[in-house]
Amino acid sequence: MNNLIIQYLKKASIHADRKGNMKGTVKDLLKVSGVHGYAFIRDKNIQIKLPSKHKFSGAKKSIMQLYENIVPVQNRPGNIVEIYLEDMVLTMFVSGTTMLMVMSSTRVNLALLRMTGKLVIANMAKESR
Amino acid sequence: MNQEISGGLDNTRCPEIMKILSLGKRSGRLFLNNGAETGNIFFRDGLIIHAQCGVLQGAKAIYELTVWTSGEYQFFVDDAPDIITVDISMDDILNEASNRIRQMDRITSLIPSSSVIYSLDPDIKEKDISLKSIQWKVLANINGKRSIADIAQNVGLGVSDAMKVFYTLIKLELLRDADVSESETAVISIDLPETSFISALSNDLIRAIGPIAPFIIRETAQDMDLDLLADDVGQRAALIETLSSKIPDERMSLKFLDTMTDWLNAEG
Repeated sequence: MNNLIIQYLKKASIHADRKGNMKGTVKDLLKVSGVHGYAFIRDKNIQIKLPSKHKFSGAKKSIMQLYENIVPVQNRPGNIVEIYLEDMVLTMFVSGTTMLMVMSSTRVNLALLRMTGKLVIANMAKESR
Repeated sequence: MNQEISGGLDNTRCPEIMKILSLGKRSGRLFLNNGAETGNIFFRDGLIIHAQCGVLQGAKAIYELTVWTSGEYQFFVDDAPDIITVDISMDDILNEASNRIRQMDRITSLIPSSSVIYSLDPDIKEKDISLKSIQWKVLANINGKRSIADIAQNVGLGVSDAMKVFYTLIKLELLRDADVSESETAVISIDLPETSFISALSNDLIRAIGPIAPFIIRETAQDMDLDLLADDVGQRAALIETLSSKIPDERMSLKFLDTMTDWLNAEG
């Protein structure tokens, strides 16, 4: 079965390259029902977009600390880290030295959030190259 | 409209008619009908200037029409086309036409007609194969229900070109006659529910990993204990996400996610 898929991919990926860029942007993330906002960190730079009263809106230090704990890890099994808090889920998407952290309610459609987040971080990583 | 020449294609095949019209330096439209499809070849002073057959135009349409062995033809004097799509000498056209006819004779010795239905060989999963993209496109459409003519239409090929692709696939032992293999290939011919979600999912996954996609969808849904008919965005998103993780090529995986996220946002 893998042979069949790999053979197909040799052809198909060529066509995929020819097609345009993917559309995932942070705006798409914010449209996912239950998403409060996000923090975008690259190296020492951090950009936070959250409602002013959100408990993470002034938590720059804590977010940077999470970044420093997560990003340098070499043998991470995946590129998405989820932290479940009592009233919130923090979903972190990592690519190289870039991290996108999404704050959302616990009732968010996590699969949809992860799908959109993967696209956003892939686009961000592409832009930074 | 002045109709001058007519007859049956079983007696006189298209290249012979073209030769006669060329020698007579005729102008007009040669209309051909094989019962299932029709086509037109336009002449100006004995030279072909335009041809059309189904979705095909130009030289491709001419070569499609030259291999027809049944049906009828009529020549309408002085009918002129709106566009010109052919700029090839009659000699070149006739040479290529005779190649195509020879090729078609070989193909029809294996595939009797375009109404034949094939299904995938049950052992296809184990085979190490390398195909051209058009062959993949055709292979992805074979489901034990669609005829060669149906598939030709789906992928935008002329019937004779589609038969050529089928000939290669059969020679590579990737296909079996649908009637013979119907019971044995039950495992191969997966019938997924026909909802707009499943159809979008399946089409997109086929683009990403090839004709094996329906099996992967069925298998993944079973593993996740998901009901493919459930109208639940959460379940759908979970299925899409899991399927995307099974696409080995990262670019293709992201492309799949991108399209399906769009679908979920629009329809889900």
